[in-house]
Amino acid sequence: MSARIITITSGKGGVGKTTTVANLGVALSRMGQRVVVIDSDIGLRNLDMILGLQNRIIYDIVDLVEGRCRARQALIRDRVVPELYLLPAAQSRDKTAVSPADMVRICEQLRNECDFILVDSPAGIELGFRNAIAPSDEFILVTTPEYAALQDVDRVLGILESEGRDQTRLIINRMRPELSRRGDSLTVDQVLDVLGLDLLGIVPESEDVIAANVRGVPIAHAAETLAGQAYQNIARRLLGEQVAFIPLLKGRPKWWQRLGLGRRSAGNDGA
Amino acid sequence: MDKAIQIKGTREGLTITLGASSMPDVLQDLGHQLRTQGAFFRGGAVALQATTRALTRDEIVAVRDLLADYDMTLRTIVTSNDVTRQAATQLDIKVVDAEPQRAVARAAPPREGREPTGPSTGDGMRGMLVKRVVRSGQTVRHAGHVVVIGDVNVGGEILAGGDIVVWGRLRGLAHAGCYGDEKALVCALELAPQQLRIAQHVARPAEGGRRAGDEPEVARVADGAIVVEPWDQARRQGAPR
Repeated sequence: MSARIITITSGKGGVGKTTTVANLGVALSRMGQRVVVIDSDIGLRNLDMILGLQNRIIYDIVDLVEGRCRARQALIRDRVVPELYLLPAAQSRDKTAVSPADMVRICEQLRNECDFILVDSPAGIELGFRNAIAPSDEFILVTTPEYAALQDVDRVLGILESEGRDQTRLIINRMRPELSRRGDSLTVDQVLDVLGLDLLGIVPESEDVIAANVRGVPIAHAAETLAGQAYQNIARRLLGEQVAFIPLLKGRPKWWQRLGLGRRSAGNDGA
Repeated sequence: MDKAIQIKGTREGLTITLGASSMPDVLQDLGHQLRTQGAFFRGGAVALQATTRALTRDEIVAVRDLLADYDMTLRTIVTSNDVTRQAATQLDIKVVDAEPQRAVARAAPPREGREPTGPSTGDGMRGMLVKRVVRSGQTVRHAGHVVVIGDVNVGGEILAGGDIVVWGRLRGLAHAGCYGDEKALVCALELAPQQLRIAQHVARPAEGGRRAGDEPEVARVADGAIVVEPWDQARRQGAPR
C-alpha cells in the first residue's frame, strides 16, 4: 500500500480547510479507505475538535518529530469510523518545531500503512505552509466565492506551479447559490475563469456544517444533508469516479434558464 | 555582437567582468549595454573583474566616467595585476585580490545564451515571451517588450521597458515603458487591469472596476494621459508603431 498524500491549503484563513480535511477523511473512510489526517497547524490546532477527538490526545506531531513516541502511538483512532486516524498538532509549540524534511519523513513512515494521507495546512504562505506542502504529490485548494479568498488561492497556486507541483484541484466552499445568482457573490464560472483549475467539488454554505463541527461529528456522516452529500461526492471523485454535480438551487429553473439563456451560471451551481 | 564584457547582478551590486578584448571594444560594449539596459542598473555600485589584465589609470577613469553617466559608482576592482592595482589605488578605488588561477577559467569564451531573452525586435529592444498564467504575487520584469500568452490575474504584475501584449485577460497591473518610454503600448484581448501605467502616467479603472470591452483593446499615452481604445480603431489611426 502506498498512500496518496494530499495537502489541503488556501492561503487565506477561515475558508474551511480544516472542515474540508475532517469531512474528506470521514467520507473516504466511510468508503472503506484507510485514512490518516494530519493537523500541521502547530500552535493553533483545530482538527481534533472538529473530529471530536480533543480529549484523547496523548502524543502529538512534535512528540513524534522529537522522538518521544512512535507513529502508531501518536495516531488517534476516530470514534465513529474505524479506519480514520488523526495525527494532531501540538498546541504549545509553534511552526518552527517541525521542518519540511520532518513532514516528508513522517509521511513516508505512514505511507505504507494507509490509502490516503490528508494534510491540513495552516493559513498563510510561511513556514507552516511550507511544512504542509512538503510531503504531498496532490493539492486541494479551498476557496470561498469572494475575491479575497480567490486572490490568495491564486497566490498559492503560483507558488506551487513555480515548484512544478501541478496536481492541483479546487473546492469551492460555502457557496451560496442565491447570492451568486443575484450577483452578490462570485459564481462558480467566475472562480474557475480566474484560476483555471479542475473543479473537485462545491460545498454549499450551511448551518448544518457549523453545528456538526461544534458537535465533533463532521457533516459527511449525514448523507441526507446537501453539504454531507457534497463531501461524499468529492470523496468519490477523489477515487476516480465520475459524479455529476448536484443542483444547489431549490425549485424549478425558470424557463429562460432551461433554454440556457440569461446569465451563464444561473441555476447551474451544483455540489 | 560578441561580448567584450559581462554584466551580472549580485546581492552587493553589479559585477562587470572584462574579457580579453581590447579596451576600445570593452568601452564600446559597456556603452552599448548601458544604453540598452542602463535603467535596470541605475544607481548601483559596481565591481570590475579585471583579473590578470593590466589596466592603466586612464583606462580605469574611462570606465568610471562611463558608469557615472548612468549614475553608477565604480567601487571595487578585482585584480591580480600589479599595474592595475597601483592605478586603482591612485584613483582611490578599492582593490580586491583575484586568485590568479581563476583567470584561466575566465579566459574561456562566455557561455552563449545566458540572457533569458529572445531575439531582438526591430527597434533593438529584446522581447520576452511568458507562456503561462501570471498569478497573484508573481512579477514579470523585463527591459524590453513582454508578451504574455495567458491571463494576468489580480495581484500579478508585468513591468516592461517596452510594450506589453497580453493574449488573454489583463486583470493585474501592467507598467509599459517603465523607464520612461511614452510611446509604449499595453494591449490585451481583455483589458481590465487593476492599474495601468505607461512611462510616468498612471490610470486606474473607475470605482467598481472597469468592464472590459468585447474586443481587444490598446492603451497608449495621448495628450499627456492614458487612453484606451479598441484595437481596430487604434490600428486605423496607426497608433501601434
